[in-house]
Amino acid sequence: MAASESEHLHHGTAHGEGHGGSSGGHYPGMWIFPNPRVITRDMAGKVASMPRGFTLALLASGILLVLGVVGFVARAAADGFDDRAPWGYYMAAFSFVFMVTSAAPVAAVAFRFTKSHWRRPLSRVSELFAVVGILNIIMFIPMMLILPPIANPNAGHGNGHDLDIRRTIWFEGPVGAPHAWDLVGVIALAVTALFILWLSAVPDMAEARLTARGFRGWLYRRLSGHWYGAKKQWQAQKAGLALMGAFYFMTLIFVQFIISSDYAQSMIPGWKDSIFPVFYSLTGFQVALGTCLIILYIMRRWGGFQEYYGKSPFWSASKIQLGLTLLWAYHLFAFFITYWYGRLAVEQNIIKYLFTQSYGGLFVANLALSFAIPFLLLLWNPVRRSAWGPPLAGLSAAAGALMFSLRVMVGGANSGNIYAAFLDHVPAAAYPDLWDIFIVTGAIGAAAFTYLLATRILPLISVWEVKEGALYQRLATFTPTGKGEYLVLAKPE
Amino acid sequence: MQEGRPIPSRQINRELLSTILNSPKWFWIAVVLLGLIVLGAMSAAGFMVNKGLGVTGMNRPVMWGFFITNFVFWIGISHAGVMLSAILRLSKAEWRRPATRAAEILTVFSLMTAMLMPLIHTGRPWRLVYWIYTVPFAPYDYARGIWPNVRSPLVWDPSAVYTYLTSSILFVLVALIPDFAVLRDRTAPPTSGHSPTLTHRIYTLLAMGWRGNPRQWKLQIIAGVLLSALILPVFVSVHSIVSWDFGMAVAVKSWHSTIFAPYFVVGAVHSGVSAVAFAMIILRHIYGWQNYIRHEHIDALGRLLIVVATGWFYFFVMEVIFGFYGREADELAVRDLQFMQNPWNIWMMVFVFTTYFLPVALWLPRMFRRNLWIMSAACISVNIGMWLERFIIIVPGLQNKQVFTFSWYTVYSPSAVEWTIIGGTFALVSMLMLLVARVAPLIPLYDIKEAEILRTEVKIGRVTVPAVYRED
Repeated sequence: MAASESEHLHHGTAHGEGHGGSSGGHYPGMWIFPNPRVITRDMAGKVASMPRGFTLALLASGILLVLGVVGFVARAAADGFDDRAPWGYYMAAFSFVFMVTSAAPVAAVAFRFTKSHWRRPLSRVSELFAVVGILNIIMFIPMMLILPPIANPNAGHGNGHDLDIRRTIWFEGPVGAPHAWDLVGVIALAVTALFILWLSAVPDMAEARLTARGFRGWLYRRLSGHWYGAKKQWQAQKAGLALMGAFYFMTLIFVQFIISSDYAQSMIPGWKDSIFPVFYSLTGFQVALGTCLIILYIMRRWGGFQEYYGKSPFWSASKIQLGLTLLWAYHLFAFFITYWYGRLAVEQNIIKYLFTQSYGGLFVANLALSFAIPFLLLLWNPVRRSAWGPPLAGLSAAAGALMFSLRVMVGGANSGNIYAAFLDHVPAAAYPDLWDIFIVTGAIGAAAFTYLLATRILPLISVWEVKEGALYQRLATFTPTGKGEYLVLAKPE
Repeated sequence: MQEGRPIPSRQINRELLSTILNSPKWFWIAVVLLGLIVLGAMSAAGFMVNKGLGVTGMNRPVMWGFFITNFVFWIGISHAGVMLSAILRLSKAEWRRPATRAAEILTVFSLMTAMLMPLIHTGRPWRLVYWIYTVPFAPYDYARGIWPNVRSPLVWDPSAVYTYLTSSILFVLVALIPDFAVLRDRTAPPTSGHSPTLTHRIYTLLAMGWRGNPRQWKLQIIAGVLLSALILPVFVSVHSIVSWDFGMAVAVKSWHSTIFAPYFVVGAVHSGVSAVAFAMIILRHIYGWQNYIRHEHIDALGRLLIVVATGWFYFFVMEVIFGFYGREADELAVRDLQFMQNPWNIWMMVFVFTTYFLPVALWLPRMFRRNLWIMSAACISVNIGMWLERFIIIVPGLQNKQVFTFSWYTVYSPSAVEWTIIGGTFALVSMLMLLVARVAPLIPLYDIKEAEILRTEVKIGRVTVPAVYRED
């Protein structure tokens, strides 16, 4: 971008380059307020263009997607869907993609709810994950086939030690449980996320419908309806976002609870762990925020968004990241010490299976990537204040979440007799074959591919929110001292 | 969010120090009344020590009753201090300012009160002396080679609580230094010829040479931030370890639950913040601090409490669901007792209603959050519920401990001695809060003044919007 054009993108004289140091003021590059008059046109150009880097990323993720489909077909042809054990890696792949993509919209929802101004550049990045929710629904269909029924099909056939009804959060099993309810949950989540995305994007689409051409123009005109930015429309939009956000959050917690329980906990006989759904949700939030920051960094560094993303979203989000990382470790410890101290045989076997023996290596990797590395990175102010530190911690957390999914889902699928009363032995670890590797990488590729396509429809900036932010935030000299340039933060409510 | 008018520093000093420099008429009457209740509780405790634990309602298998319930309750209340002071300070929430000091002081006193409970519960509190003074001629315990089991959560517990108490006192004192300096100057003799009063000498000592120069302010801010960050793990560990007093036990079904630690911590924050909100409303009323504790602050606390309460409810649901999930006969027996049998099912309904459904319903509408009567009712409701929660966790679980062996009785019924002692703890904390209000400002002067300096306005079109300066 030419220097003159770059200057036009900035609003007023606030270039976000503060003085810092002894004279006081905000940190260099922390706050950037784009010029509201230029942003719409610039975003329209970005959505319509196909830079080389984007094409390459689309191609690479497309190839991974194809490999994933090949792996899936090969696995289905070789093993069918009757036995859950060969599908452990598919379950892990679904779990990972689901964790990231379903929790990501919460970043927009939660920080909009807390009225955090720094969230503004982050909102659309997180909301666009709603489109990947469609992939979650598609990927969940085979998951339904894998899940064993609640009632033991061999009950009363001489297996005296087995349970007639396996342990599940659905107890005696209401109609359709768990399969139909799980599916309803995943669909409800995807639909709600899409609704939030639409509601949030309506003002932007209405603004762009006059200039956009072709499919995008048609889509914007259809989806923006009768939006003209009237006061009542804005009030309805904001109330709708708050209500749907709260509904989405509660639905997400519920769906994470049922997915983690049905596909991990209840697959291992005797694993009774009330903290596990919370732990699963926490892992989801940690990885989702990290992934949003990775995208923010990529777009800032290579996507031409450096004029829109200051360092403030990274710094502010890094504090939340640090908190989530500490909470992750705390919840893990709360689980571990209760099981370890209790010395019950079944609990010892579960520790050996998932933590110290069979999947001990994965657990160590999980602990290092989800806790040790992000914690050691985020502990330092200069790292948190940088644009690269929080995304690096996010990358580590993402790898850690993958290890977590592999550990609990593959472990769950390969634990043996699901109708046994307790885990009376320590099963061996199940290692991936070529198809499993294709499936896992393919699922990640498919998610990336879908997300990349979504960015061709809506820009990675919530234009109205950034414009609104430019009204509420400004840099000013601190009156009592007359030194330094500080952020002045207006809070209308 | 700034609703009050700008307040000059002189007025802040005058109004917030009024509790120290002038006593209202009712003050000593209230202190004496509360002191009488405390005295009654002390007499009851003395009677119990003299006669033995037989005068309580405890008997096999329910050997933990009101005292341990009350211990967990007060530990829970103590979590308000760090939640409001440390976490909100780190997150730079402007509305925290009037709430921090009261929350920190409530933390200290509730921790002290909490620690009295297990001491009284032992029935032989003098044995603590033998633990503290490990001297060769002491007849018991260490001298005889009897050591506490360091692998027991019951030993981790006092370690965590005392660490929390120490750091909380430090936290309060560091935050008080600038205000002590103001008091030192206010109590100084009018001319150099007069000899300084004892009060002035004490405040001089407590102010530690504070002159308010930039270096001192910088160090004070750094100390505050560091203590805030360092106290957080202690804060989490305290109630986690309290929960592990229960969770580590496999013999009592319904206690051995992995979620207990965060469930207890969130519950503690829920009850603690509610208690602080209630305390703030009381302070506003009795000291006329309408300019400082404004509706917007209570409103913000209400909104925070909706989130905390909902988080707590989620943990509660998880705890209950996974209690049933195992389908183990002995645990189902406890759940049956808690949910189906009289009077526990009634208590359970009262507990869930008062802890979650009633207060959250009251906090949801903005107009209710800004009504101090309704907010008070909601906050009291939470604390009734949270007290009951601990009671419902402890007693039914113990009642079914070793269910197939002989037991003396099946229903625990607290005696008058227990009621009196429990009532005394509430009086004790209230009395101590009142007495502290006599020697230190319960709203931090410098924090309020800082807020006044940082507040500004932004003009957006024709509208003027309140704003604040932020360094980051």
